[in-house]
Amino acid sequence: MTKKYTYHFCFILFCLLVSSIANAQQINYVRGKVIDKKDKQPIVGASVLLVDKDRRVIKGVSTDVDGNYSLPVVDKTSRITVSYIGYKSTEPLPVDKAVINFQLEPSANQFEDVEIVSRKKSDNGSGMSIDKRDQTSSIGTIDAKELEDMQAASIDQALQGRLAGLDITSNSGDPGAPMQIRIRGTSSINGAVDPLIVVDGMPYDISIPSDFNFATSDENNYGQLLNIAPSDIKDISVLKDAAATAIWGSRAANGVLVINTKRGTMGPPAISYNFKGSYSKQPSAIPMLNGNQYSSLILEEYYNAGRQFSTTDFAKEFQYDPNDPYNYYNYSNNTNWLEAITRIGYLQDHNLSISGGGEKAKYRASLNYFNNKGTTKGTDLGRLSARVNLDYQVSTKIRFSADIVYTHIDNQNLYTLGLRDVAYNKMPNQSVYEYDEYGNLTSNYFSPSNTAQGSFGYDFVKSKISGTYNPLAMAIAANNHQLGERIIPKFSLQYQIIPDRLRFNANFQADINNTKVKTFLPQIATGRPFTDATVNFATDADGDAFTMQSSMTLAFTPALGKKNDLVLFTRFDSYDNRRTGQSMFATNTASSYLADPSIDGRTTAVGSAYSSFAQSRSVGLLLSGQYKFLDRYILNAGIRTDGNSKFGPNNRFGIFPSVSGRWRVSGEPFLKKAKFISDLSLKASYGIVGNAPRNDYSYLNTYQNYGFSYLGMAGVYSSNIELADLRWEKVAQTNVGVTLNLFKNALNMDFDIYRKRTTDLFYQGLSIPTYNGFSGIDMNVGTMDNQGWEFSLNAVPLKRKNLRIDFSFNISHNENIIREISPLYPRENKGKITQNNVYKVYIQENNPFGSFYGFRFKGVYKDADATIARDANGNQIIGPNGEKVYMRFAYPSIDYIFKPGDAMYEDINHDGTIDYKDIVYLGNGNPKLTGGFGTGILLNGNIRFGINFSYRTGYQIINGTKITTTSMYNYNNQSTAVLRRWKAEGDVTDMPRAIYGTGYNFLGSDRYIEDGSYLRLRSLTAKYDFNNKFLKRVGMKGLSANLMVENIFTFTRYTGQDPEVPVKLTAFSTVIDNSTTPPVKTVTLGLTANF
Amino acid sequence: MKKIIYSISMIVMLITVSSCRKWLDLQPRDGITRAGFWKTKEDIQAAVAGCYTSLLAPPPGVNDKALTEYIFMYGEIRADMISAGPNATEDEKNVFDNNIVQSNTITPWAAFYRTINYCNTVLDFAPGVKEKDPTLTDAQLNAYLSEALALRSMMYFYLVRNFRDVPLKLTSTSKDTDLSELEKSPAAKILNQIVEDLKRAEAGAVTTYGSTVSDKGRVTKFTVNALLADVYLWMDNYSACITECKKIIDSQRFAIQNANSSWYNNVFYNGSSTETIFEFNNQQSTGATNNIFYNLLIQAKKRFIAAPYVLTDVFVPDDLDPVRNFDIRGNGTFYRTSDFSIIKYGIENPSYVNWQAYRITDVLMLEAEALAFTPGGGQQAVDIINTIRQKRNAVAVTAQTPSPEDADAICDYILAERAREFAFEGKRWYDLLRVAKRDNYRRIGILLEMISRTVSPAVQQSAINKFKDVNSHYLPINESELFADSKLVQNPFYTK
Repeated sequence: MTKKYTYHFCFILFCLLVSSIANAQQINYVRGKVIDKKDKQPIVGASVLLVDKDRRVIKGVSTDVDGNYSLPVVDKTSRITVSYIGYKSTEPLPVDKAVINFQLEPSANQFEDVEIVSRKKSDNGSGMSIDKRDQTSSIGTIDAKELEDMQAASIDQALQGRLAGLDITSNSGDPGAPMQIRIRGTSSINGAVDPLIVVDGMPYDISIPSDFNFATSDENNYGQLLNIAPSDIKDISVLKDAAATAIWGSRAANGVLVINTKRGTMGPPAISYNFKGSYSKQPSAIPMLNGNQYSSLILEEYYNAGRQFSTTDFAKEFQYDPNDPYNYYNYSNNTNWLEAITRIGYLQDHNLSISGGGEKAKYRASLNYFNNKGTTKGTDLGRLSARVNLDYQVSTKIRFSADIVYTHIDNQNLYTLGLRDVAYNKMPNQSVYEYDEYGNLTSNYFSPSNTAQGSFGYDFVKSKISGTYNPLAMAIAANNHQLGERIIPKFSLQYQIIPDRLRFNANFQADINNTKVKTFLPQIATGRPFTDATVNFATDADGDAFTMQSSMTLAFTPALGKKNDLVLFTRFDSYDNRRTGQSMFATNTASSYLADPSIDGRTTAVGSAYSSFAQSRSVGLLLSGQYKFLDRYILNAGIRTDGNSKFGPNNRFGIFPSVSGRWRVSGEPFLKKAKFISDLSLKASYGIVGNAPRNDYSYLNTYQNYGFSYLGMAGVYSSNIELADLRWEKVAQTNVGVTLNLFKNALNMDFDIYRKRTTDLFYQGLSIPTYNGFSGIDMNVGTMDNQGWEFSLNAVPLKRKNLRIDFSFNISHNENIIREISPLYPRENKGKITQNNVYKVYIQENNPFGSFYGFRFKGVYKDADATIARDANGNQIIGPNGEKVYMRFAYPSIDYIFKPGDAMYEDINHDGTIDYKDIVYLGNGNPKLTGGFGTGILLNGNIRFGINFSYRTGYQIINGTKITTTSMYNYNNQSTAVLRRWKAEGDVTDMPRAIYGTGYNFLGSDRYIEDGSYLRLRSLTAKYDFNNKFLKRVGMKGLSANLMVENIFTFTRYTGQDPEVPVKLTAFSTVIDNSTTPPVKTVTLGLTANF
Repeated sequence: MKKIIYSISMIVMLITVSSCRKWLDLQPRDGITRAGFWKTKEDIQAAVAGCYTSLLAPPPGVNDKALTEYIFMYGEIRADMISAGPNATEDEKNVFDNNIVQSNTITPWAAFYRTINYCNTVLDFAPGVKEKDPTLTDAQLNAYLSEALALRSMMYFYLVRNFRDVPLKLTSTSKDTDLSELEKSPAAKILNQIVEDLKRAEAGAVTTYGSTVSDKGRVTKFTVNALLADVYLWMDNYSACITECKKIIDSQRFAIQNANSSWYNNVFYNGSSTETIFEFNNQQSTGATNNIFYNLLIQAKKRFIAAPYVLTDVFVPDDLDPVRNFDIRGNGTFYRTSDFSIIKYGIENPSYVNWQAYRITDVLMLEAEALAFTPGGGQQAVDIINTIRQKRNAVAVTAQTPSPEDADAICDYILAERAREFAFEGKRWYDLLRVAKRDNYRRIGILLEMISRTVSPAVQQSAINKFKDVNSHYLPINESELFADSKLVQNPFYTK
């Protein structure tokens, strides 16, 4: 027994001995001290980590108050590393000593005195990042540094005029109004036309699905579309040619806007606060008649039309009769309605962000609050958004990222977009507030149910507002409130299967986007009697969209020696989008305070409740590769398969190839000596992208219910034609370009020529004979081209120590041409040229879009003699019996004889009658050239001045406001230009006589066509960075203040409100300016502080 | 390594492509697809009900006038019983002035063809249900098909009477690949098709659905007979017309109600009376939608009013005692003298009065007209008119005494009486045209006399001249149809 114990004891002792011997060679514990390299002070809380060969953390501790640490060592292959925020991390060292001390170098010093030659990596967002100098396709990139001084509420506003080929126009100046973004024109006339927005590698929806029933109060703004706070953006790239967009497949047919947000960087927490506040004012409006001038105009209109006024009740509104005190007080004013609905606008934007991180984890979190009070009363926009971007580096091989974005929108819109037009036209003798019959002004809005001008009308079927109302009452009392909540969580994983050679990347993103729109139209806003169905009309609409997207990429970069570079890339995308919408309305609620449709109203009409569900899915698989030989010859080729649930089984998948190349001429030996050339390259690309239609399920013949039954039986009907034949719309784009960088990139130029050919063009609702039971069908109808060129230039002409000047310039040209179109496609617009205010538009193969035709205006017939018809030689035409022949209009169908004071149109064919044979080409609404330029001056490294212009030239606008404000045809108020109207025989003027409800004084003619060219001083900025000395004293890292003035001048000959009119492209659209809120002049003060 | 990547990517591609096919196959949740429909007899009933509902209103999302509105306008606006109201559109005023061009907005025929397409859909797909639903009997299926055939025939009959030659489409439109352009078919061919279809429908149609409201609101055998009688008379086939009328009269299911204060309420306001053979049921109690007439005829901004001619010549006040002795169809029931409003379809907003398609008096007078042209039938015809007049309390001033041998005189009497009996029921224009066009427009004078009453004095002569060209009695094909179909040729009068 004892023996046994002894034996055991001996064995244990031996073991211990052996292990202690081993300890002498290996280390069980490692300890040491961490100090600052500079001041030799201990660093408290530095993390000391044992890592494996892939830098995966095995164990870690923090240093104590004396900077000491101690760690057990388990695996002898472990290596040790120390990191601390604000210091450079050490390289992993083998644990070969029991005591290892570290001296850390502050990281702030690491870039000191190092000039960085920046070489922009451009990103097409897909994860296949390629050096900008090796790009084979046309991509424009803009750094957020250039944008950050702008006060713009959204990035689309800020991008205006900044990039060649990118055309952005505002729909109106009201808060939350969306911008129209077009990259190289529109490639589809009826399919989707907005470019694809990609944020941090994943597509981002910016359009309100059409199946959300928000159309309860005509067209409206949905402000929460592109609502990324500009200060969170790192850079924006615009992918223009097909080789670049092909990666994104079917949704990228209209170009791609790639946005990358800022992420955390290693270092101590950096806190940044950014404030922008601005003051905006409406530019002066078109001068309108005052009440007295207006009333006399109306009486004259009536007299000229040969009408008796006194028989109608409305006569009282123009009689100024003190014996009728109620009407006298309420209708003898000089109201300026536009002024009544306009105010000074304010904007504030606060942005707080914190970023930083260590070796393992990096973070950036930001909080943004934006509030904009619009210049039209009753409009404002509030937005709160938060964003957290997290990166976690598990090892050198694995990295996780998690991003979460939350946005809350609270947008108060106008009830109807037509408000400003109504204010323009509103009779100025009417009072804003009601007077009682004793002449006392009350605080009630004066909203008569019916005036001479008419009354408010609402078409429940078309959701369309018509007629007139008290604009101020409508702006203030009527409610159109939009609430939006959007949450976008995104997770991604990056795995280096073979470090630096084979990389796998997986992303998953959900997008939960809920929008609620509540509107209410109280009685006082329209003045309609309580029996009218539009009184106390409440709606509530909800739209919830839920999108799930995933992508997987695999990038392979084999080592092929110095001369060859190869990147192979494959990407798989999936997209699933589900939308549910509900809405309901109720009318005639009992009180104007019962503003919710769930309260039973008097009228419950068909369609008072609505709900929808729709889903669409798509998948895409991309195989792509880029090969570079000798740094001179670069070839990129890709092929993408797209599948989309919107097509029938036969046409569901499409295959879209792309190929592009670049020849760096400057790399050739014969140009080696030309040192001043940094890069001279020729680029060419060709690619096809498919475009999917808008509607879901259209390949199925669906049956739907009628809203009522017949004899108690629910009726079902076939609601559509099965679109078995609908195919992908294909956009094939050819691009040829030159890049020239000179003098160490001090002068960069890019020039591109392109042609975007859309074949199998979608057309929605193409007319088919109605004996089929349907009147329209969606079809692939033809071929359309968008062709043009772009040039951009960036230069740094002067770069001294205390003075640096930048200059940038871009210009582009684009035109739309129909090449081939189905015979079923209508060839002219529906308008009848013999009606006032109608222009003709024709479609002709191989001719650009957007041309309009009409009469030529020659002035006004000054007297009866002038109205006598004349032949080509100017001699009066005498009839067979010697009688005088007067000019006629549209003989024989209308056969109106022109009277003195009528508008005179040119009788092109001298046949004595003005009709469709006399119409001529008047203009085209597509700009010939668009672009912008700007310059920046940096003084002493801390004072910056910037100036930016945007311009458009070579297009004509139909001045719609001029038509409506000088027509003198009805009760609408007119501009002061009509004061020079023809009044009596012999008057020589260019303004025809006033005539109520008849005559042909405002036919579509060149009288209203104006050159829309403009040059706009878009912004002027001054920025001051406080110097380091001052900052040290106050303990800050950075502080800057800036001042910016926007929309200062517009140099134009256009006489309307604003020549920047968005072109809504359909084949027959004309560019008509109906003067919504013009771009407001804004002064912004900004402040940025970094801690 | 490359090999591995290649094979992995190939596998991934194959898997994704095959599973994607399923993943991309999405079905709508609202609405039923054609493949999911046509499974049971209830589906057929729902689709047939859809054909009826399409008579009352356009389907949701289709921006068009209700079919009833077209039927009303086509039957009245070119005749002499209504005039333009304060809110009549420019195009409607042009029709009143007999100044119709191909862009006129009353000319689109889409509403008729929409209902035709719904009927065609039933006719194409309902027979297939037989295989899937064993509980569907042949009789039941034939009854449903008869309803669709009768409604389709009724629509084509309207088209023939308004446009003469129209495209004849007898199959449903459900797929874009099936679309093809059609030419116009001659009116005679369409009328023969109608007769053939109605004969088929007569064989399958039921005599009753077991409830009075359904018997009146849905197509029965008697509806088919009434329609056939009307068609035969239009084709001047008098003996066949009389045969069809006899079938209805001999069934003993219909009777003229007595002239008393509740007559209007029974026959029109409540509907489904013993007088009615077929009506479009608008009654709220059955879940139907209101009729379209409040906006058209009653509200302050009405589009149509009763023509002065109705007040002075159609319903002539009794010269002795107009207060106690009056036609029950006149002032206060069909119209009101105070503002010329047509109140036959109710004055409420909204109003639910049914649209009367065929009543027993219609059949009686169709028979009378056919008898007038049948040797020896003259006296019988006059007797029928007098019976109706008696029941309606017609005043003596409007009585006529045509000789039993004078078919034209009897015809005039029938026309006058039909104007009273079916005032504002969308029949007047066809009555005038039918009589005028008989025997190669022997009595075109009726139309010329009528037009001289209705159009504005300024355009009277040109209107009469236009009417002398018999092609102008039919409407032009709307220009949008001509754009959409290259084979379609404009009707003769409108080609200039």
